Amino acid sequence: MNGTWTLTKLALQRERFIVPLWLLLLVALTAGQVKRYATGIPDIAAFAREMAANQALTAFAGEIPSATLAGMAVWKNADAIYTILGLIMILTVVRHSRGEEESGRAELVGAGVVGRLAPLTAALAVTCGSAVLAGLLTAAAMTATGADVAGSLAFGAAITAAGLVFAGMGALAAQLTQSARTAIGVAALGLGLGYVLRFVADGGGLAALKWLSPQGWSHLVRPYGDDNVAVLLISLAFTAATLAPAYRLLVRRDLGHGLIPERPGPTASDRLRSPMSLAWRLQRGLLGGWIAGYAIAGLVLGALATSIEEVAQQGAAVEEFFHRYTASPEATMTDAYLWLIALSLGYVSALYPLLALLRLRNEEISGRAELLLSTPVSRARWVAGHLLFALAGSVLILTAAGLTMGLVAGAPGKVLAGALVQVPATWVLAGAGVLAFGLLPRAAAAISWAAFLFVNLFGEVLGPILGIDYWIARYAVPYPNLPMVVSGEPFTATAILIMTGVTAVLVAAGLAAVRRRALS
Amino acid sequence: MELAIEAEGLVKSFGRAQALDGLDLTVRAGEVHGFLGPNGSGKSTTIKILLGLLRADGGRAMLLDGDPWREAAGLHRRLAYVPGDVNLWPGLTGGEVIDLLGRLRGGLDRARRADLLERFELDPRKKAKTYSKGNRQKVALVAAFASDAELLILDEPTSGLDPLMEALFQQCVAEEKARGRTMLLSSHILSEVEALCDRVTIIRRGRTVEAGPLSQLRGLARSQVTAELASPPEGLARMPDLHAVRIEGNRIALEVDRTRLDAALAELIRVGVRDLTCTPPSLEDLFLRHYESEKAER
Ligand SMILES: Nc1ncnc2c1ncn2[C@@H]1O[C@H](COP(=O)(O)OP(=O)(O)O)[C@@H](O)[C@H]1O
Ligand SMILES: [Mg+2]
Repeated sequence: MNGTWTLTKLALQRERFIVPLWLLLLVALTAGQVKRYATGIPDIAAFAREMAANQALTAFAGEIPSATLAGMAVWKNADAIYTILGLIMILTVVRHSRGEEESGRAELVGAGVVGRLAPLTAALAVTCGSAVLAGLLTAAAMTATGADVAGSLAFGAAITAAGLVFAGMGALAAQLTQSARTAIGVAALGLGLGYVLRFVADGGGLAALKWLSPQGWSHLVRPYGDDNVAVLLISLAFTAATLAPAYRLLVRRDLGHGLIPERPGPTASDRLRSPMSLAWRLQRGLLGGWIAGYAIAGLVLGALATSIEEVAQQGAAVEEFFHRYTASPEATMTDAYLWLIALSLGYVSALYPLLALLRLRNEEISGRAELLLSTPVSRARWVAGHLLFALAGSVLILTAAGLTMGLVAGAPGKVLAGALVQVPATWVLAGAGVLAFGLLPRAAAAISWAAFLFVNLFGEVLGPILGIDYWIARYAVPYPNLPMVVSGEPFTATAILIMTGVTAVLVAAGLAAVRRRALS
Repeated sequence: MELAIEAEGLVKSFGRAQALDGLDLTVRAGEVHGFLGPNGSGKSTTIKILLGLLRADGGRAMLLDGDPWREAAGLHRRLAYVPGDVNLWPGLTGGEVIDLLGRLRGGLDRARRADLLERFELDPRKKAKTYSKGNRQKVALVAAFASDAELLILDEPTSGLDPLMEALFQQCVAEEKARGRTMLLSSHILSEVEALCDRVTIIRRGRTVEAGPLSQLRGLARSQVTAELASPPEGLARMPDLHAVRIEGNRIALEVDRTRLDAALAELIRVGVRDLTCTPPSLEDLFLRHYESEKAER
């Protein structure tokens, strides 16, 4: 354990901007929601009844813990907080344990006066510490809004518990696999499974399933209602059950190795013969993951569409919702829901081409681009290989979701068209990614994420939830300009042609910039 | 084509840091050219300019009779490059990387590939992420040596190799030279370059200090000799070719111009040698001598 404190300080130093940032965002989420409900909703009990009747919303957000201001704010945000915090925990713990080891820095540290257990312990100290902080700060912020103290503490505990569970899962995954990326994948699978179990439990009325999901345990606390903190003992036990084998593995294995060994690969290769085939090798994992994820999302979200009509068309909130996502009075509530989902899939899909294109930057920083470009491969061909995946991949993932969702919802043609119409808007983001990589390579990652967040925050799906006036969206974000082909608007090509043209211009400018600049 | 590489007055700065400050480099076709300079002197920067990865702020560069920036992809058909810091695609095996690079360069000699893999004791089935620095370097070297490129550009290729592999590398360079390939070999170790190169260019702080055949260098450099003799040496200190002579009982330490080594050793043997070490000059010694002789000329 020697050196744990030193390593913890080092990790804190590296996290000094990131942790405060997400802490602030997570803590502000629920407390801000209380304020918004307090001013915007005159009769909270009626609102709670209206929401509880909506099965789709129950699936997404879970059961309403209590029909109070604070209870509704928790209902609105808790599920997202548990899952996002879980993801942050996984990324952080893996970055400071397996990530360090993979980069070879751990070897440097291991050669110093640092105990074997110190790196993992330091990584866990930082992650779990920030989870505790997230819980305490949320409890304090909620109390400050005037909410009940016991309920606020229960909510904070539920948040911390969700964080601990996934920190443990990440720590274990980091010991099992040899690469950080695989470790994140394994742990994220657990996170996704927990999400789906909880979703199905609340959406499908299979309450027992909730007991199998880490997010479910935190949901079962029901802050401001039952304040059933005892459930969290399961979370703590689960965390302990992941940490014990993680430490056992750490003691036994060699530095740099995992439990799941690397298989030897082929001696030679006939398929790898062009920058395109190399791009395929580098991109196929990411693309496959997105296609699978989108197909599953389409399945689940499509299944919900069949239960939509039961929701009575009443109340101002529902009317406003209807107005936002339909283009004709003949459109049904189901149409509005399907368009909302198609749009949501579109907004999220914007991340895929950006991530695919950031691989280029990664190739450049690592020096692998230097090796590749010392062969007769031109820069344009190199970029084109990855760009092809970014563009065609966007089509594929949206097709996957459109197909599964359409089939389950019983309107295959319409839904597939609704998903595919998102493609040109997603392409605009891809164009922005290429331009960023060409002009400002050092800032490319930051620009890509900022563009994704901007489009989502100001778009018509997240924007209204966050209280941003989404009518700005038409001018700054591509998606609101798409024809609502699912909910009553006839297909028109104008917006689509313009977006495709904008993409072409952005890509051309980006390619020209890549050709002109120095490679680092 | 008589000159494979011709660079004149290259200037390059990164922000405020001046990496190259009027660097000249000429490599003749068919020769093994040593490109020598301490760490941070601008070797890798020069090579990246020659590969069209960086653009020079000033000066002129020609590579295989072409413009390395504008005709990069075309010129790369005729060369193979081994970076100073070899990074490979972590999910690809060594064998896959060698084949990929070979195909992109327009073909690979299969027999030579197999032979090199065996001699370098490299397992091509392993994923690149499990290779050490030395093994990654071997992958790039095998790919370069098994290609049919006419020009090999090797940036500090032995920095990750153990002494045994370094000897093998020297053998390979000799074989490639016999095939008529041109090689640019950068290094910060004088002895390595001496063992392999026909001509050398020595740079310091982004500027060429000395360029010419090795014999010229040998004249500049002095070896360190320490010896344990049969009896206390007398009269040796007054020999004209010996410098910095220190005598302690039977032990003697001295510096000698390498061209005069026979004469000095003959003197020692006359007294009787019990033990002897001879250290080749380091790059730093060379710079020291270079500036001393410059001062003397003025
Ligand atoms: N991308 C870069 N950004 C800033 N400075 C650099 C960069 N590349 C090289 N340098 C600086 O330029 C100088 C020469 O570096 P380099 O060519 O790598 O030297 P060498 O290969 O001879 O060790 C060094 O001082 C180095 O710090
Ligand atoms: Mg270098």
